[in-house]
Amino acid sequence: MKKYWAIFKLQLANGLAYPGEFIGRSLMILPFMWIFYQLWRVTFEASASTEINGLTLQHTLWYLVIAEVIELSRPRVANTISDAVKDGSIAHILSKPYSFLGYHYSSSMADTVFRALLNLVLGGGMAWLLVGPPPSLWGFVVVLPLLLGAWALNYCIAALIGLLAFWVEDISAFQWIYQKLAFILGGLLIPLNFYPTWLRTIAEALPFSAMTYAPASLFVSPTLNGFLTAAGLQLLWLLLFVGGLGLLYRRSVTVLTVNGG
Amino acid sequence: MSHLKFLLAVWKANLQSAMEYRASFLAQMFGMIANNTIYFLIWVIFFDRFNDVRGWGLGDMYVTFGVSASAFGLVSILFGNTFSLGEIITRGRLDYYLSLPRPVLLHAVSSRMISSGAGDFVYGFLSYAVSGSFSWDGLLRFGLAVLLAAVVFGSFLILVQSLTFWIGSTSNLIQVATNAMVTFAIYPITLFDKSARLILFTVIPAALMGTVPASFTRHFTWQTLAILLGGAVAFLLLAIFVFQRGLRRYESGSAIQVEV
Repeated sequence: MKKYWAIFKLQLANGLAYPGEFIGRSLMILPFMWIFYQLWRVTFEASASTEINGLTLQHTLWYLVIAEVIELSRPRVANTISDAVKDGSIAHILSKPYSFLGYHYSSSMADTVFRALLNLVLGGGMAWLLVGPPPSLWGFVVVLPLLLGAWALNYCIAALIGLLAFWVEDISAFQWIYQKLAFILGGLLIPLNFYPTWLRTIAEALPFSAMTYAPASLFVSPTLNGFLTAAGLQLLWLLLFVGGLGLLYRRSVTVLTVNGG
Repeated sequence: MSHLKFLLAVWKANLQSAMEYRASFLAQMFGMIANNTIYFLIWVIFFDRFNDVRGWGLGDMYVTFGVSASAFGLVSILFGNTFSLGEIITRGRLDYYLSLPRPVLLHAVSSRMISSGAGDFVYGFLSYAVSGSFSWDGLLRFGLAVLLAAVVFGSFLILVQSLTFWIGSTSNLIQVATNAMVTFAIYPITLFDKSARLILFTVIPAALMGTVPASFTRHFTWQTLAILLGGAVAFLLLAIFVFQRGLRRYESGSAIQVEV
């Protein structure tokens, strides 16, 4: 564990060396939050109600802050792994006394944590100005462990896509489709509360909702039962994906051919 | 005329280069069509629950999303380097284009084709076809609207990327500006108040990439055509002017490279 903690700290120090780069990238959350506010303000006005399907405008905007923090900060390792496979630099890490997947997890989580903090400050600050403070301070307590679970799940899926580079030339299409499925079935742009019942049932049975909807909705309406259910779901999906990732990785390494030194 | 012949030759070379990896090209094209289709489901879900947003319904969104996607795709296919012009400037790779007897900006931006753009371009037409407002004369207007929206979008990219001449690395600014342009283009204009609309016609001209061309597709009016045409010409001239002014400040380490 110590070596992965060291990798995490090293990557965090790298990020802190160029804070302007991270802050610049995090500015993206501002236009998103502004346009979400416009859309939902008009929608709530049109419905002539302060609450729709259990959510107020304040709940909806803070839900979207957390959903965007998860999406904009998630570990983006698919390209890193795919590039390492294609240019052969994977051999460099394989020869080191640590796990290839562990290395990328520690390294990407450092970026994720740093970016999440900035996104939360900027996006949360804007939401606070527009609709007031978060509905409950307990939300912060509940959301923290769920964020870690969401990113771990995200990492597993991204790494699975990255490893596909052993068999396919270009993984972009897989990434786009995964991202859009996460948008739709995770409730990234519209909370699942507003979905038709049949679609919501399907979405809740899939891992995407455990990654986005569960943490974001529990942030605005924290309950112990809800937290335990979401954490249990995340754990279940994690076990499945970690197993799948391990299997695919072992198979990938057996087909790896490295020429030269 | 010679510029057009030159452009056609560059585009032909780009296409041949993309066709070298035919499977990858097709995967990216169909992947992007699937990507856009799934993304648009957001609006299907939204309008299923909330019938309209200040007069905008799902049919309007099909046309708006379609015209924006096709315009984005057209720029990606024909002028793919508009997305990376800033990086080309920062890395001194303009040297290559400066050393040749062709217009620098035109040559630089047309030298790359982004294969996934073909998927965006095709998707836009499919989106219009299923919008419920399809007509043959509407299709002609859609084609013209896509062309003019693409001019606005491409010019906007050149403008933002040309800031690199003055303020150095602008990768974050470019990313934020491009995302803002694409995001605002696919949202109903009726959401915004007057001051926000002014921004969407000037600083981030997303209205000229989404709402206005979509409105022109649905109903022909001389006024909409004039706004679109005027906006496209104005932004194109401004982009060329800003790039040319910036080019005077360009410096590099004389790293003449071979562009492959």
